[in-house]
Amino acid sequence: MDELELLKKDWQKQDDALPKLSYKEIYQMILKKSSSIVRWIFIISIIEFLLWASLDIIFRLNGMHADIEKIDMGVFTLITSIVSYSILGYFIIRFYLNYKKIEATDSTKVLMENILKTRRTVKQYIWINISLFALAMIATMSYVLFTGEFENGTVDNQPPVWLIVVSTLLVTLFFVGLIALFYRLIYGILTRRLKKNYKELEKLEV
Amino acid sequence: MDKELEHSFVTNLEQNQNIVHKVCRIYTSDPDSHNDLFQEITIQLWKAYPKFRGDAKFSTWMYRVALNTAITLYRRSKRSIKTADLDTMNFKIKSEEYDDEVEQQLKLMYAAVKQLNDIEKALVFLYLEDRSYKEIANTMGISEVNARVKMNRVKTKLKKILNP
Repeated sequence: MDELELLKKDWQKQDDALPKLSYKEIYQMILKKSSSIVRWIFIISIIEFLLWASLDIIFRLNGMHADIEKIDMGVFTLITSIVSYSILGYFIIRFYLNYKKIEATDSTKVLMENILKTRRTVKQYIWINISLFALAMIATMSYVLFTGEFENGTVDNQPPVWLIVVSTLLVTLFFVGLIALFYRLIYGILTRRLKKNYKELEKLEV
Repeated sequence: MDKELEHSFVTNLEQNQNIVHKVCRIYTSDPDSHNDLFQEITIQLWKAYPKFRGDAKFSTWMYRVALNTAITLYRRSKRSIKTADLDTMNFKIKSEEYDDEVEQQLKLMYAAVKQLNDIEKALVFLYLEDRSYKEIANTMGISEVNARVKMNRVKTKLKKILNP
């Protein structure tokens, strides 16, 4: 293609027209903080980990655990706490290992893969938490409904069982949807361009 | 020790800064974004520098980090998301060397390159810099055959943009 060759010639002659930064200017640049996508992913992921981990503490402070213990779900609570903290630990370690692997000196493709992997780890963590949340809601509802607490009738004029089931499911669905939407938004904004470019590179391999 | 590393890095970059400026030129359209991207590439180069062993040329090593930053790591600020306008800011060819027709053609070519996607720009950039297909393939993480195939497709695409 003649035009491209013409461009190449012109391109290689442009050196004089390019800006020239001094030693001092470059030195000052290395003192600044990066604003790269990796840094943002790191910060946001840590916030996400903290947010989910702190939900448990918030519940404790609000005295919700005390309520649950009253209806003898102590063991159940203990097990879920252990499970959720081991999940948190596992994902933080995996996240950290993936994060350490990200290096700007890798090939473009490998670099992209490593960044996406890091993000995927956090995504999995969020989804496991959403599922656990939904499970806990349904378990609590079943417990209340089927262990006799409900039939003992501590409250007058109780609503019918189906109404409780449906409303619990709806509330659960609503929260899961809300979290998922919120999450997709953050995830989408951060990685839209990265994903597009990755797909473009992948298209080549077919 | 750190001071020594800093000094050798800044000196190296100062001498080879043209490479970074040229990457910025392909990926940005205004001086602010150019400086922004230059800044981020410098940070990424500096972060990676302790692992630079000197078995490759500093300039070769720079291509990879600079392109990776432009394509993958750099988060564009809002102001740099623009439609592909004519590259007027950077367009500084010496007009006395070309006749009008050639100059016009070059202008159109630069504008066409601006319309390519990030990956295609990287290929064209390395091509304009006269890097081998082997190096292009290595930098992008694709096979040499695919690099050639893709480059041919980019050429066709450029032709289409120029002659719609």
